[in-house]
Amino acid sequence: MLVWFLPVFLVFLLIGLPVFFGLLAAPGLLLWMNGQERDIALLYRNVYNGMDSFPLMAIPFFMLAGELMNRGGITIRLVEFSQALMGHLRGGLAHVNVLSSILFAGLSGSAVADTSALGSMLIPAMEKQGYTRRFAAAITAASSVIGPIIPPSGIMIIYAYVMGESVAALFLAGIVPGVLVGVSLMIMIRLMADRYDLPKAERIVRKGEPLSSMEYWFSLVLARLNLGYLIYVLMGAFIESEGVLAWVSFAVALIIAHVLLLGLRRQVSADFRSVCKRAVVPLQTPILILGGILLGVFTPTEAAAVAVAYALLIGFFILRTLRWADLPDVFARAGITSAVVLLLVGAAMAFKTVVSLSHAPETLAAFVLGLTENPLLLLFLINILLFIVGMFLDAGPAIIILGPILGPIFTDLGVDSIHFAIIMSVNLTVGLATPPMGLVLFVAASVSQEKVETIAKAILPFLAVEVLVIFLITYVPAISMTIPRLTGFAN
Amino acid sequence: MGGVVSALNVVATCLGVVNAAILRLGNAVGVICVGAMVVAILIQVFFRYVLNNALPWPDEAARFCMLWMTGAMAPIAFRRGGFVAIDMIPRILPNLVAQVLAMVLLGVSCVVLWTGVELGWNHITGFAGSGKSASLYTFFKIELRGGFGIDWGIQKMPKAQMMGSLFVGVCLLLSVNVELMLRSLIRLLGGSSMLLEIDGEEMAGAE
Repeated sequence: MLVWFLPVFLVFLLIGLPVFFGLLAAPGLLLWMNGQERDIALLYRNVYNGMDSFPLMAIPFFMLAGELMNRGGITIRLVEFSQALMGHLRGGLAHVNVLSSILFAGLSGSAVADTSALGSMLIPAMEKQGYTRRFAAAITAASSVIGPIIPPSGIMIIYAYVMGESVAALFLAGIVPGVLVGVSLMIMIRLMADRYDLPKAERIVRKGEPLSSMEYWFSLVLARLNLGYLIYVLMGAFIESEGVLAWVSFAVALIIAHVLLLGLRRQVSADFRSVCKRAVVPLQTPILILGGILLGVFTPTEAAAVAVAYALLIGFFILRTLRWADLPDVFARAGITSAVVLLLVGAAMAFKTVVSLSHAPETLAAFVLGLTENPLLLLFLINILLFIVGMFLDAGPAIIILGPILGPIFTDLGVDSIHFAIIMSVNLTVGLATPPMGLVLFVAASVSQEKVETIAKAILPFLAVEVLVIFLITYVPAISMTIPRLTGFAN
Repeated sequence: MGGVVSALNVVATCLGVVNAAILRLGNAVGVICVGAMVVAILIQVFFRYVLNNALPWPDEAARFCMLWMTGAMAPIAFRRGGFVAIDMIPRILPNLVAQVLAMVLLGVSCVVLWTGVELGWNHITGFAGSGKSASLYTFFKIELRGGFGIDWGIQKMPKAQMMGSLFVGVCLLLSVNVELMLRSLIRLLGGSSMLLEIDGEEMAGAE
């Protein structure tokens, strides 16, 4: 009897009941009809217990860090940096759009934030260069899905919490798939650039604009510290050093980094250097987050709080683009968005309890395995299912609903739980840009003042590429699993 | 009919004003909670990694703030239409049917929230609510069992003060739900033009 709550839930969802209420109404109704009124109290308690979690705090923190960075004007710095690197290629600004999304993904983890922040800047610029508005909006929407794949990622925190996985492992597993989506989009742009004669762009837009002395010294030190640490780690592979020797090695690595950067300095123009220096400060955020987690210094939640502190530090003292008066609004935006997500996660934990009580995964597993026992074929079918779900439902709620049902089935079939998490996350994230209900399509339409239907047509070649990447990620586990395995976060 | 619609509109407007005022307060509480969460976790990081001293309270204090942030701010999102739903079918339905469906859906959410209020009250006044926080202190305790009272003085924080966040959130959601039902009913009865706009922008989720 209880297993019927799933179809009831589906009906509730399809007729437009908010997911939060559906997650509670369907199991509650069935428990009541089953004469298990006392278990309904369990649903409420599980909503509360589900929200009362330290790891979940990373969600409001990452959202806040993203909001602060965006308000602090780092988007323009990332776009200018991307343009300095890729603007000279055919289809330059389209490449810049994708590269900016990859860089922005390391700061925000939100496809919607990516579309609105980068779209409002790049769509008019692309139009001015001769691109059609629909093409500019389509590539902005298509590339924005990289946001939730490359860490930090809100949906991966949700998945990790609901399914009991390691946030760090999922973050690490998302890096290569996210970059792969970006690279494949760039290849597509390159092919289209020949066919449609897409223009090149100027590499440096702002010329002769000096940095403030504070930012100059801050970026100078950060660049050397980052490169120096990388060299120090590489040296560690050949020379073992401890105590004072370790500090000496680090000092040597810093000197090598300084010499290398001085060498590079002579190869490029002053304006190019200035653009790169402007990008150092914002690009330190993903280094801080991932570095902190990888080195075991922070938990993901603490890394998120440190990212907020860093965003405040650079916004107020280095870039001086934030004002105290901005804070209440920024905090409120992050808080309201997070509150919805946290409530949804709480409801998902209650829903998950009923899923277990109803033995729905076992029943579904029996049905699915009745179709075929070949895991490769099942993964193909599940990708189709997820893609269809992603067309109608946003990634977060879809993960909350489907994770507890599908996760155990595929883990039992021998698919690594982290690998499955990435398949699910990437697939559902691409769904954000698919018609008819893709959230970022609507955001892109609103930013570009172009019709959703027109963007939906223009985005098809990019979606085709992304679907290809989904299958690549599905059938080549090494794409997502190599970094977590190398760093000891997965077996 | 016009009189009924006008009367409903007066009730909806009054409730709207009350909700807007309470949610403004909720917004302020939420903003303070967000700031306090950040500060608490940064103190934790500083003490653990710089001073090598793991403090017991920042974790719990930050969770306390997160829970109250959720309780205070989720109703704001609900009022602005920020709760995720698939609205494809309501969009393609004829206007009248869509409005009836909207009423039905708000009715379902009303039942969920009303049940939530009952269960929430039992939760905070029951056994679970009588426990004490491991590390947080408060200067007052609200007595709910056996009559209302406030017990002043520094003491360990009762769990009910944390659990109250969801209860307050559900109560506010219910209040907003009733306002939305009234507005939906007014629309159904043809009084759309009378309705005042709800402040705030459209929202997106974690994506």
